Amino acid sequence: MPVRRGVITLLIIGPLLALLAYGFTRDSHYIVSPLLAKPATPFTLKLFDGRDLSLADLRGKAVFLNFWASWCVPCREEARELEAAWQNIKDKNMIFVGVAVQDTDQNALEFLKEFNISYPNGKDERAKIAVDYGTWGIPESFFIDPQGRITYKHVGGIRAALVVSKLEEAAKSIVSAQEGKGDYSAVK
Amino acid sequence: MKLTPARRVLALFLLLGGIVHRLDATSAADLEDQTRAIATELRCVVCQNLSVADSPSEMAQQMRAIVREQLEAGKSPDQIKDFFVSKYGEWVLLKPRTTGFSALLWILPYVVLGLGVIAGLCVIQRWVRKKQVISDRPMQPAISQQLSGEPFGDEFPQPDLDDDSHKARLLRERVRLQHELADLDFDFQAGKLSESDYVSLKQEIEAKAATVLQEISSLPSDAIAKPAPKPAPARTRPQQATAAQFQLWKIIAGGTFLLLFGLTLGVMLTKAARPRGSENDTITGDFLTGTTSGSAEVRAALDEGKQAFEKQEFPKAIEAFKKVLATEPNNPEAHSYMGFILVQAGHGDGALMAFDKALSQAPNFPMALWGKGMVLYQDKKDYAGAREIFQRLLNLVPPGEERNEVLKVLAEIPASGGTPSRPAATEKSATTVSSSSGQISGKITIDPKLNANTDPNAALFIIARPAASGGGPPLAVKKIDRPTFPIDYTLSQDNAMMGMPFTGKINITARLDKDSNPVTRTPGDISGDYKKNPVEVGAKNVDVTLDQVAR
Repeated sequence: MPVRRGVITLLIIGPLLALLAYGFTRDSHYIVSPLLAKPATPFTLKLFDGRDLSLADLRGKAVFLNFWASWCVPCREEARELEAAWQNIKDKNMIFVGVAVQDTDQNALEFLKEFNISYPNGKDERAKIAVDYGTWGIPESFFIDPQGRITYKHVGGIRAALVVSKLEEAAKSIVSAQEGKGDYSAVK
Repeated sequence: MKLTPARRVLALFLLLGGIVHRLDATSAADLEDQTRAIATELRCVVCQNLSVADSPSEMAQQMRAIVREQLEAGKSPDQIKDFFVSKYGEWVLLKPRTTGFSALLWILPYVVLGLGVIAGLCVIQRWVRKKQVISDRPMQPAISQQLSGEPFGDEFPQPDLDDDSHKARLLRERVRLQHELADLDFDFQAGKLSESDYVSLKQEIEAKAATVLQEISSLPSDAIAKPAPKPAPARTRPQQATAAQFQLWKIIAGGTFLLLFGLTLGVMLTKAARPRGSENDTITGDFLTGTTSGSAEVRAALDEGKQAFEKQEFPKAIEAFKKVLATEPNNPEAHSYMGFILVQAGHGDGALMAFDKALSQAPNFPMALWGKGMVLYQDKKDYAGAREIFQRLLNLVPPGEERNEVLKVLAEIPASGGTPSRPAATEKSATTVSSSSGQISGKITIDPKLNANTDPNAALFIIARPAASGGGPPLAVKKIDRPTFPIDYTLSQDNAMMGMPFTGKINITARLDKDSNPVTRTPGDISGDYKKNPVEVGAKNVDVTLDQVAR
């Protein structure tokens, strides 16, 4: 009888303690995206060179969509990596799109010039695209397959090798089981 | 006053205009209220526990604008919330839904509360029943007689001290009360108690005794009977042992639980919470969030150090930063400031070590990059190295004054020329002036058997300690990155720490350090001593062979 009472007490307290420990070890700031394996929200982006770029026009290509800002240090850290990855895959059926959020035109353009970014980039004026993609920490990158489905999401700085490999997976419509994480800055 | 048709039209126009204006104002106010109502239910994605309505962040403003737009487009509040849920998940709702899995969050507290109330009622009922059983029992004349005459006869068995049964507890209580009564009598006879105190205390004890005796008499007769002189039956002993074990187990389990609970709260909570740094600091938790934490003491010491540094009170600043490093040995900010202090004191090598230490923890720590770049540029005249460091810094600094400053320094650094003070080059030139009397010079070699196992990125530290101190802080340290053995070295006042005089009898040691950290000893570090330690300043050929591998 007393043993049974002890076991019951442990069965109640154990899970509560485990829940408490789990709660403490989680990054309370991290938001797990529900967008993985879902269709990418269509958007039209006004590019810095004046052209309009529509996601619908990119159907049939694997797309790397990167949200960044010139004030974000991890964005600066990954900038050269992204350009290197772009140079690596630009002749394939893949495309990079950069979206500057919470930034000024001047700073964003200086950033592009400084890091010699040559892939299409535009500014998300009122963060509408950013909200459509559930963005909360930058840089944030989305990989979209030729059918327009999100196959992978990476919060924080990303390396060129990972960009290339995940784009190749996106080209084959392989959806990653979970999103990736690196150093990030919370949006303002 | 009679209105002309034209005036009537004008009055009607003004009247209608007023109504339309009021309607517009009302609907705008409604829209604002609705926006706020929905925003109150949405969680700000860059803050903690703040709603989109309450957050001052830019993102929250943008989210409020989207809410307003969608309301204007005729969407219902539920549709708008669904939109945000589809982008950020259920997390974005400050009030979880009452359907699906989230319903558990609403139901569970009530279930737990209900269970708690039921459990509480059960416990109270048991207490009440127990009390009633005792108080309902009529006073038996035999017990009254026992109390008035010989209260506790010898008709009851002596209690077993190891027995934890109810019967044994009652018997032990009976004996205790018997002794208490005897003590009271003794005290009264000895004149230690007044009569009134004696009577009231005796009545109190007798009342307790009556209850105990009643309970004993209510037990089955075989339970009260004296135990047989033979050993206890085989079944009783294991039961007693089990009860004792359970008692022990209860204490251990209780203790373990309390310990775990204390650890969980004490350790994790302190890591998971910190006070807000400012009004705009919306993040309060930082456990595994990638943001630097630091206890209040560390932050206070850091602030104190920075203030002292700004006032050029370097000894005070050093004390403060030492305090920080005692708690957080890898704090890059404290290492960087130490580096700047060493720069001020004219110890380029020591400063470089401090900046390298900071960069080993945070490779992109701007302050350490700046410091290292400046030392390489101005002190070491290593223009290529300085340029490389400033270029790294430039990649990290967003546009602004700081960036302009970096660009300015980069422009100042000569494109070519200079004498890069790469370790080997320095050492070679140093050997040519080793005749100077203020130096100790020699050669560092490595045991040929160990040479093949050396880490190519390891750093060599040549350390001079005062012979008198035994251990203690070094007098001078020289760091040589990626050395090629054998390598010549010199130690002089330039390498002395914090302006300490490079004189007297000195012990020379050297260590090839795998993690380039002079403070830590890691397995695989290779060290060696000068065999004829101590030496005097001015000594030459102080050769050290690295032959001891740390395990």
